[in-house]
Order: sequence, then C-alpha cells, then structure tokens
Amino acid sequence: MSVGMTTNAVFSVAKDEWRYWVRSKIAVSVLIIGLLLTISSVIVTLANMHELSHQRSSMQNNAEETFVDQPDRHPHRMVHYGHYAFRVPSPLSILDPGVDAYTGNSIFLEGHRQNSAMFADQKQGTGLTSLGSLSPAFVVQVLAPLLLILIAYSSMSREKESQTLSFILSQGTSIYALILGKGLALLSVVGLILVPLAIAGMYAVTQGESGIVVVGFLLAYFFYLLVWALIVLLFSSLFSKNSESFTALAFVWILLCIAMPRIASTTAATVSPSSGKLETDFAVLAELRTLGDGHNANDPAFAKLKASLLEKYNVDKVEDLPVNFRGMVASASEEELTHVLNRFAEQSMQDELAQTQISRYFGWLSPMVAIRSLSMISAGSSIETHHRFLREAEELRYSFVQSLNKVHVEQLSYIDDINRSKGEEAWKKARVSADNWQMIQDFTFETDAAETRLNRSIPSFLQLALWLGILAFGIRLAGRQSL
Amino acid sequence: MDVYVILLHQGLSVTKNNNSKALIEARDLCVDIKDATILKNLNFKVAAGEIYALLGGNGAGKSTTLKTFLGFNKPVSGNAVIDGQEVTSALDSVRSKTAYLPESATLYPHLTARENVSYFLSLADIKKTDAEIDTAFEKVALQANARERQLQTYSKGMRQKTAIALALLREAPIFFLDEPTSGLDPVAIDEFNQLVSDLAANGATILMVTHDVYGACQVADRIGLLRDGELVGEYEAPEGGRIDTEQVHIAFAQRQTA
Amino acid sequence: MMYSIAQIKREWQFMLSQRYVLALLLCGLLVSVFSVVTGISEVNQQRATIERLKAADEIDRAEAQEKYDDPGSLAYYTFHLTYASPSNLAFAALGERDIYPWKHRVRMLALEGQIYESDAQNPELAQIGKIDFVFVISALSPLIIILLFHDLVASERNNGRYDFIVSTAKSSFALWGARSAVRFISLYVCFMLPFVVGAVISDTAFIDVLLVSFMCFAYFIFWTLLSLWFGRHSSSAPKIASSLIGIWVLFAFVLPILGDIAINKHIESPDGGDILLVQREAVNDAWDLSIDTTMASFLAEHPEYDYYEELQSGGFNWWWYYAFQQVGDQTAGSLSVQYRHASVAKYESAKYVSWLSPPLLLQRSMTRIADTDAKAAFEYENQIREFHKALRMFYYPELFSSDTFDKNKLESMPQFK
Repeated sequence: MSVGMTTNAVFSVAKDEWRYWVRSKIAVSVLIIGLLLTISSVIVTLANMHELSHQRSSMQNNAEETFVDQPDRHPHRMVHYGHYAFRVPSPLSILDPGVDAYTGNSIFLEGHRQNSAMFADQKQGTGLTSLGSLSPAFVVQVLAPLLLILIAYSSMSREKESQTLSFILSQGTSIYALILGKGLALLSVVGLILVPLAIAGMYAVTQGESGIVVVGFLLAYFFYLLVWALIVLLFSSLFSKNSESFTALAFVWILLCIAMPRIASTTAATVSPSSGKLETDFAVLAELRTLGDGHNANDPAFAKLKASLLEKYNVDKVEDLPVNFRGMVASASEEELTHVLNRFAEQSMQDELAQTQISRYFGWLSPMVAIRSLSMISAGSSIETHHRFLREAEELRYSFVQSLNKVHVEQLSYIDDINRSKGEEAWKKARVSADNWQMIQDFTFETDAAETRLNRSIPSFLQLALWLGILAFGIRLAGRQSL
Repeated sequence: MDVYVILLHQGLSVTKNNNSKALIEARDLCVDIKDATILKNLNFKVAAGEIYALLGGNGAGKSTTLKTFLGFNKPVSGNAVIDGQEVTSALDSVRSKTAYLPESATLYPHLTARENVSYFLSLADIKKTDAEIDTAFEKVALQANARERQLQTYSKGMRQKTAIALALLREAPIFFLDEPTSGLDPVAIDEFNQLVSDLAANGATILMVTHDVYGACQVADRIGLLRDGELVGEYEAPEGGRIDTEQVHIAFAQRQTA
Repeated sequence: MMYSIAQIKREWQFMLSQRYVLALLLCGLLVSVFSVVTGISEVNQQRATIERLKAADEIDRAEAQEKYDDPGSLAYYTFHLTYASPSNLAFAALGERDIYPWKHRVRMLALEGQIYESDAQNPELAQIGKIDFVFVISALSPLIIILLFHDLVASERNNGRYDFIVSTAKSSFALWGARSAVRFISLYVCFMLPFVVGAVISDTAFIDVLLVSFMCFAYFIFWTLLSLWFGRHSSSAPKIASSLIGIWVLFAFVLPILGDIAINKHIESPDGGDILLVQREAVNDAWDLSIDTTMASFLAEHPEYDYYEELQSGGFNWWWYYAFQQVGDQTAGSLSVQYRHASVAKYESAKYVSWLSPPLLLQRSMTRIADTDAKAAFEYENQIREFHKALRMFYYPELFSSDTFDKNKLESMPQFK
C-alpha cells in the first residue's frame, strides 16, 4: 500500500471519527464543557495571580518605603525593627499556582532570627477546594483525561462491537491506519484543550517568562495528554465491548489521576517523615547557646574578639577602640549565628526536598504525578522555587542586618552606646542618622533561571517519555492481535 | 388477489374452536410502543397442550406480543391472559407458570451449563438435585462432558439446549419461544422440533413466534398469521397431520404485495 | 426469611464468579487498608513528635529557669510549648492538620508577632493532599460504587439477558434487591473493615465509630441509589456511567470551587501581613515614646497597676517592656479579630456550600467528629491565646512588684493543658 493511500485513509478515519462525535451529542457536549472549564480556569487563575502579584509587589515597595522613612535611631533598633520579603508569583503561575497558596508568601526579616513564611492563603480558605481547585493545571491534569475517555472510549471497541472492524479491514485498510486516524482525531481534541493554555503562556512571555520554558511547559502538557490519548486508544483496542472499554478506562483514570497522587504524597510523608521547624529549633537553640549572646558584649564568648581587637589597635580598653565594640560583637555574633541557622535551614530544606522527591518517583507509576511535578517545576511554583525564596530572603536579611551592624560599628561611638540608658539626653545621643536606612536593597523575588528549571524537569520528561514508549508498544501489540 | 382472500377465508374456516381450556389468550389486545401502535385488537387463544406459532415478517409485532405476555409491555387496552390471570396484574404468579426461551439463549457466558441452570432455578425459587438436572440435560441431549464447561465455549445449539433444559426443570406448564430455531443447523433444528413436540405431548402449552414458515408448519398445531399488528389468519393442522406449508407460505408472501 | 437468605446466598455465589466485581472490591479494600495504615502511622508520628517536643521543652525551660532569677528575664527566656494532640479518630480523618499548625512555642512577648509562625508540613505534599480514610470514602468510594452499580441492569439488557432473567425470576424485586444488596454489603465491608480495625487499634470511642459507620452507610446508600436510578432504563452502560461520573465531578469539584469563589468574593478579610505590620510598628515605636504614653494604653486593660511610677528606675524596666508588648497586641487587636472572624465566617459559609456537595459534607462532618477541621485549628489558636493571657496574669504581679522574686512561685506557673 502506498504512503499516499495510507495518509488518505488516516485522514478519512479521523474525519469520520469527528463526524461520529458531532452526531453523538454526548461527545460534543463533553468537549464543550471541557473547553469551557479550561477557559474559565485560565481566566480565573490569571486574574487571581495577577492581583496577587500586584499586591505583593506593592507590599514589598511599601515595606521598603516604611523602612527608609524611619527616624534617626540606634542602628540595632532597626535590626529589630526588621524588614519584609514578599514572594511575587512567577509569570507561569497563572497556569499552575502550585504551592503558592500552601506556603506563606511573606517573611518578616529581623536580626538573630530566621522566621518562617507566614500567612499561607490556604489557612484562610473555605476548605472547599480540598479535592481540586479551579487552576488550569488541575483541570488539564485531572479533568482533561476524563474528557478524552468520555469522548473516545468507544473509538476502537465500537468498531468491534458493531462488527465494522472486520469490514473495514477486509477493504484493505490497515489496522494501524485505523488506529492512527482515531489517534489523529483525538490529537485534534488535545490541541483544542491546549489552545487556552498556549494563549496564557504567550501572555506569561510578555510578563517576562522565558520563551523556552513556556514551550517546554506546553510540550509537557502535550505529551501528557498524548499519553492519555494513547491509553484511551489502547484500552479501546483491547476490549471488544464499549461498556468494558469504558469501565476499564474509568478505573484507570481513578487509579492514575485520583488515587495515585495522594498515595504518592502519603507514602512520601510516611516513609520520610520531616521533623518540622519546631523540633529543629531545639537543636538550633542548643547550638546557639554555645555562641554567646550578641547583645551582651561582656559575654565570655567574645573575649577572644576583644583581645584580638585590643591587640590590633594597640589599646588597653574597649572604650579606646576607634570602632564601636558592641557593634563588632553584634556583627560577629550575627555572622556565627547565621552560619548555624543556615546549616539547619539547609538541612530541613534538603529533608523536605528528599520527601518531595519520593512522591515524584511515583511519576513512573502515574503520568499525572509526572506532569504535576513537571508543571510546577517549569512554572516556578514548586517547592524548589519556594526554597529559593527562603534562601534569597535570608540573604536579604543577613545583608541588611550586617549593613546596620556596620553602621553601628562605624558611626556610633562606644561611649554613647553604653550610656544610652542614662536619661533622655543620652538616649537621644545614641542614634545614627536616618540617611543610613537608604542602604536597604530593593528586593524583587525572581523565579529560578530557565535553564535550572528545565534541568530539574528532565526526570519528569523521562517519565512521560517512558509512558509514551510503553503505550506505543502496547498499541502495536493490540493492533497485531486485532488483525 | 382474490385467490389469497379465498385462501385466507379457507384458513379461517378450518380453524375449529377448541373446547379445552385456553391457557394463553389475547383479548382485543392493543399495545403501543413509544406512541406507535404495534398491536391492534389482537385476539387468539392457545389451549392446554397445544403448540401455537405466531408467524409474521419483520415488524409484524411478534416479539411485542411475546413481551406483552411476559409482562414487559403494558397493553393500552384489551388483555393478555395466562391461565385465567391478567398478566400485568398477577405478574409474579404468571411468571412462575411460564418458561421463556429468548431468540439467542443469553445465559451467563462465564458460568458452566450446570452453574447457569442452578443459578436460574434458584432465581425461580425451584430446588432440584444434581441428578434431576442431569436428567434434564440428557433429555435435551447435552453431552455430559460439556455440562461443566463455561458457556462462552458453546455453540448456539448447545446454549439453546441448556436453556431448554432449564425450562424443563422449571416444570412450567407454559412455554414462550422466540425464534427458537434461527441460527441453528438443520440437524439441531430437527432435534429441537422433536423436543418441542415431546414437551407438548407431555402436556406443555407452547406459544412460539417465528418468521420461519417451514419451521412453524413442522411443529405447530395451529398457526396465527400476524401482519402489522393484526391477526390476518389462523391455520390448523389436520388430525395427526401437518399444516400445509404451501398454503401458509402464499398467505405469508402476500405481505409483500399488500 | 429463608427465601431472602437463599436469594442472598445465590447472589453471593454469583458475585464470586464475577472477576471484575471482585477486582473492584479488592481495590476498595486495599486502598482503605492503605489509608488506615498510613493514617495510624501519621497520628503516631504526630503523637511521638509531641512527646519529644514536650520533653525537650521541659529541659529547655528548666535550663532557663535555672539561669535567670528575675521575672523579666524568666519571662523573656522561657518558651512554652502548646500543642493540639490528634484525637483517637484522627487516623481516619487527618483533616486540615497539614495546613494549620498543631504545635507552637510561645513566650511572653506580643502574641500577634508569634502566633502566625507556622510549623507547616511540606507544602508540595499538602497541595495534593493525603489519602486518608475520609478521602477514600468521600472521593473514591462513589467512583467504585458507580462502576459496580451503574450497569447492574444495563449489562443484562445489553447482553439480551434482561427479559430472560426477569421472566425467570420468581420476584424481580428479590433478584435486583439481592444482587444489589450483596454488592453493597461486600463493598461496605471492604471499605469499613479496615476502619473498624484501625478504630480498635486507636481506641476510638464506640459512639464515634458508630457515627462514622452510619454516615458512611448513608453516603454509600446515596451513591448506590443514584447509580441504580440512573441505570434503571438505559441499556447503554457507558452513558449511565458518564452521567454519574459527571455528577461526581460536579459534586466534588465544580460546586465546591464555585462556592469557594463566591465566598472569597463575599467575605472581606484584612491582610494577615497588616496585623504583623501594625503590631511591629506599635512595639517598635514604643521605644521612642514616653513611658506614660505606653502605660496609659496599658492601664486601660490593667488599671490595677496604676502605681507603676513608684517602680520607675532610670534604666530599663521589664514591666515597661512587657507593657508595650501588650500594647502592641492591643493595637493590632481589632485587625486580628477581623482576620479571625473572616476565617471563621469563610469556614462557616462553606457549610452551606457543602450541603450541595455530599463528598464535602461527609468530609466536614467526619473531620468535625475527629476534631481535625479548621474549627479545631481555630479552637487551638484560642487555647494558645488563653494560655498566653494566663502567662501574663501570672507574671504581671511579679513584674509590677519591687519585692525580690520568689522562684518557688514558678511551681504555680500556668501549664498548657
């Protein structure tokens, strides 16, 4: 058979399949409902994330302005006055908000402490979206496969049930041309579902998202829906009764899309329980006690610092030092303390990542788990990006605290400093100019670089590729059986 | 045209009123299905021990008649009466007296013949021993080695036999057969006809619907010719003989020209 | 009676011959076992964590109490663990405990600055949710019920057996009744047995087990009747199942999501960050304000300490420090109340939406009984607030006193729970 003929056959099969869908009202109404759901989820989420993005950027600016507007003060007061970091959602969050609502999105930054991110939106939620939310990610990951099943469960089994299959085959059409044609028709449905996503993706590009990431993101969803199209074709070819094909597909959907993701998260939490911040805090505290209190320059822990400074400047008393010794202590202790805090923070992030990794392994068992990770990673709404936010916020915290400590060291005299509690006048004297607050950095949280995200998403791409490979092989076998 | 009319009248005239009790009776039966009138004032009687064949082409209303007697259709007017009881008003009692053999005996393919028979007997709340079941299988000539095989391995004839065995075991006095011989090979048809005759000889009352003129004439004591939901003729076999196939065939064929 | 038993027995044997029914039942059993086992393990982990925290907290506090002698430093350096233990039914309904914190350490500083700290679980796992027993029942069991019951009649129709079976059966009601009953009971047992075993292991109150069993029973009945009702006429099993799954999607996703959007549009809430901001400004500004200004606000709540001027010394005063901490809370108080009211109002409004969605109604009811819902989290927050108040009541008389602190009084310091 010539290639041309096969191509013609494939196209006419696809055309016929569409005609069948149009005539059977169920397929068309399912398709329309599915598209409406996808479009409305895109619009709602886009509006939502856009607002959040604006809100958080303006709060970030606000925080910076209030910091700068503070009056003349003792620099250490500003260390405790603190600052804020807000996590502005990534542009692609309009398609997959990921963990955004489940983590706090603002951190209060102050000296000597690493606060956790506070005010996760979910905590003020209605609890109604526990089964699913109206995000394009959820709609396409969970509902689109169901839509493909409802439309095409009978694509091959119908031909067997009504015994048209042998008739078609007896006319010289190859079984593969038939399957390919049905697949092509299904692919056009996949394309339709992806249109709203592609448009939103282009919008994300205008918001500063990398084009490659958006293409990768859309490609991932295309692969995912292709996996489902193949699953539908495979099961429809395996069964000779529509009802059996439907039941089997519905069961597969329940297993892969509804049960498996939660089995994955539960397994991860059970196999690798995380200790939680409160518990690590004890360990942190124990270690910090060995460092000495940075507020107390007489703490024996700073004797060494004192000795080396006295020697360096060749003086006998700290009062004679050209620098403010209390500021030096504050700076040195902040450095040591941050070192410890970061070590523990890093450890708990690694633990959390390892836990997440376990749940991601389930992508080999369920394409839904694979696309879920892939989608969040690409969109920059995964746990890695949140960790990046935590690290950047910590960097910001450390830099502003140390800048203030530097002001403390250089601009405030030690004598004024230690006498600060001796009456109103002394209290006023122990201050530095508000001009120093200008040193606060502009903070804009940006998602990981495109390359980083693409690299992270490779395992999930491989998972989807494996699914595609196995399914293609399975369909070949099923096709051979039907001959 | 006239010839057929004459034949028809002859047919009607040869029908003699049986005096024995009518076990199956259609009285001015009218049935609609989805606003379409299928049966129009249908009247016929089947006496105890009689084999009555309703003969008709596609869409004549044969299956509708049968389903009405089985209680699946509710008459618009008139009555379907079995053993003196209106079908729809005494459904359970009527069903316990009847055995139904559908066109393709659709028992459970994943069960063996014996399992199927026991299952359905239990449905009908009838208790039979294994020996009794074997006797029934022997009557229908279902080979012993086949009885423990799943039905999905059976030929159509064997499935039919299983269904008849079940009907026998139910000891129902009344049988409804729906196109019982369609799809069977000639040998199987002969076997089947013999079985039906034996049943009647043992006192069973049988109503069968078929489009097979030849088959009907082979076994039936009487034939009712159904056309567009109306009974257009009845034929009776002479004492000890068969109904004249040719005569019925001509009347049947008239459908095409009418 | 004998007749019904015979019917049930026959259908039981018949069911045993249907492999796909058995496969579905087995899946139900497995997933239920999985949820109960992991649920128990999760609850045990939470309990063990609380025990470890309690021990560490005890040691930490003892150290602080050893090290300091004045009430100001003691109040500053001693932390207090608060926690909400999982109930004996929590294994079946883990609820919102992965979103709301169930452990906190607080001290005498401004509470509004501490209480929003959350020791949350892995957000990526929380986002997809756990597979607890409530999820298995509310979300998965309807799907299994649909698969088992939608074609009860349709498959017989489809295979041309319907007329034959019905005309053979002595009573068709007994046939369909027995067939449904056998499937229903088997399914119910498969789903509930692991729960009951789990409940025995977890020492759950009998009345709770009874209540949950009853609710699940009613829920199963609802979905079974719905499936049978939809399947009563049609002979196309896929069409019936499509409609039923469509209804499930409507109940589980569409209606709740619409309700969520409506509620969030309707109920205004202050931004959480603002509470913190207001509180922080108040506390920080206090350093620059005169003591009298701060104390005026403080005395509005605690007029009994109007003698503070007698205690005033030139340097730093702990009572002043804690007074402005409290004033910080007072300043942020109305925002905080609004915030909490909005949370409660949202959760309460969701009740009306859940009446439209059986899966969510079941989830709400069961997490309520298990005390793992948002309401339980709100109650826990109130307990923390009460405890913090009690701490203040304990320390204030000591702080506003010129007498030397008698450390034996620490014995009578309020304890959480």
